[in-house]
Amino acid sequence: MRIDALPSPRSSLFKPLLMALLLVFFLAATGYQAISSGIDYALVLGVFATRFLGIFVEAAPFLLLGSITAGLIEAFVKADDIYRLVPRNRLAATVMGAFLGLAFPVCECGVVPVTRRLFNKGLPVSLGVAFLLGAPFMNPIVFASTYIAFGFGPVFIGRIVITILVAVIVGLVIGTFAKPGAALLPLSQQQDHPHDHHPAPTARGKLLQALQIAADEFFEMGRFLILGSALAALMQTLVPQESLLALGTGPVLSVLFMQVLAYILSVCSTVDSFLALAFVNTFTTGAIVSFLSFGPMVDIKSTLMFTGVFQKRIVLYLILLPFMLNLLAGVLLNLLLGY
Amino acid sequence: MMTMENTPMTAMAEHQHYETPPDDLIAWAKTAILLGMGVYFGWLLISGNLNYYINQRFAWLVVVGAAVFVLLALVNIYSSLSADAGCRHQHFQIGWDILLIAALPLLLALSIPSRSLGIEAVNGGISLNPVGVASQSALQRSPLDRNILDWLREFERASTPAAFNGAAADVIGFVYREPGFAEDGFMLSRFTMSCCVADAFAIGMPVSAPDAADFEAGVWLRARGKLAADDFAGDYLPVLFADSLEPIAEPQQPYLYP
Repeated sequence: MRIDALPSPRSSLFKPLLMALLLVFFLAATGYQAISSGIDYALVLGVFATRFLGIFVEAAPFLLLGSITAGLIEAFVKADDIYRLVPRNRLAATVMGAFLGLAFPVCECGVVPVTRRLFNKGLPVSLGVAFLLGAPFMNPIVFASTYIAFGFGPVFIGRIVITILVAVIVGLVIGTFAKPGAALLPLSQQQDHPHDHHPAPTARGKLLQALQIAADEFFEMGRFLILGSALAALMQTLVPQESLLALGTGPVLSVLFMQVLAYILSVCSTVDSFLALAFVNTFTTGAIVSFLSFGPMVDIKSTLMFTGVFQKRIVLYLILLPFMLNLLAGVLLNLLLGY
Repeated sequence: MMTMENTPMTAMAEHQHYETPPDDLIAWAKTAILLGMGVYFGWLLISGNLNYYINQRFAWLVVVGAAVFVLLALVNIYSSLSADAGCRHQHFQIGWDILLIAALPLLLALSIPSRSLGIEAVNGGISLNPVGVASQSALQRSPLDRNILDWLREFERASTPAAFNGAAADVIGFVYREPGFAEDGFMLSRFTMSCCVADAFAIGMPVSAPDAADFEAGVWLRARGKLAADDFAGDYLPVLFADSLEPIAEPQQPYLYP
């Protein structure tokens, strides 16, 4: 366990200041919306609350399941196991990361705590990043929902191919150019060392420990989920969806706007296929596929959750690289299909 | 290419510091929030207010969520009470700021009355385009059972707006007006929802009635009448000429599920 030094003046002032700034921004934004639309402020606040609670209520169960998985990993998986199972070759390890979701079925809220625990156990960065980006789609539950919504066709195949490619490329780039110390926050770095022999508690004790960790994990990641849901709800209250839809035509712009929409909406990967169905008539196939492959990788709430695991600079790359690569893939798909 | 230099470890330790109230207080506050979440999720299920937030077909998620919240709260109570809770791996110190953020959904749910998205949530206009792909059962609905979404799908499939001249319609929705609308016209609107309110989308069909001006924007109405293609705010569209406009209470399920 880490022993904290006295809080530095900067950090003790920084947090309340940041929270006060966020509150001021929130009040200004909703206030502006109320004045410009001529709607009573209480009603604007009501719309925000409905949207916020809607996103939170749907996402929280997935975060809880991810937290429990993270707790079980902490209690039952040893660093030795990771060391033994991960291929020495970086490419092989990264590809394994893209497929690891098949073993840990989690969506984009649950994947963050799981990845962090795996990093604690000494998982290589490239593998962890590929898992983080790939797993929200590369798991049996989301395969099923995509198949139910779209059948076995260009959308389903495109989603798989693009997700694997982007996850592996981003994993390799970040794993190659950043050392774990520069990529991960201290809390996400390896805590448990191979050949470290803790006294072995009973299975019941381990289960209890796993659930306690799950509760802590819910608070730690939940704050990012909650702030992210609030931000997403605020964006939706302020930015008219129609204006995005109206701009989304053509092989390039349609992909760009569907990705922006995916980022703003922050809909869970387990259900986003049904949502994408709504846009089938309006948007190009490339745009639908990019919406489905980019959305689960990065959105407003997962961006905030990433900041609890990675250094800020890496978080920026984790947004921009998948955005660019998905955009490229979506546009290529559109050209291939002849839009 | 990118460069990512090594930051010294000491500079990275800053996010670690939290002002920590006594441990017991934190532990009980955590338990209270977890239990509160469990009760809130359960209440959403029992009261039916869940309909305001997410599509009914995902209600099982909320059942799972409520159960896990209560389970975690019970585990927390057990470990707070039991003497040998010594092997707690507290890698992470939870401070007042995190507790406050975690309590935010509960505070909002308690302080702002829960309601569905209505007229004031319409941001940027009402769409005349249907959302999603109709199921077989929706396509086979008889004309008088069709809701606004079903009608918009029919309009989209038809070759001309005049294809529905004389068809009887009986729909519910809320009144929406824009500056360009005629005195006797409004859009009767509903929100559609695929997953949760994050993807709520306002759709509507044009209605014309002599007494249209009697109803305020946002009021829920049942409109009965016959369709006829006509000019509506500059577009040639199928318009519902309503013989009867009847104010109704907001339905139990305010949204349409595509």
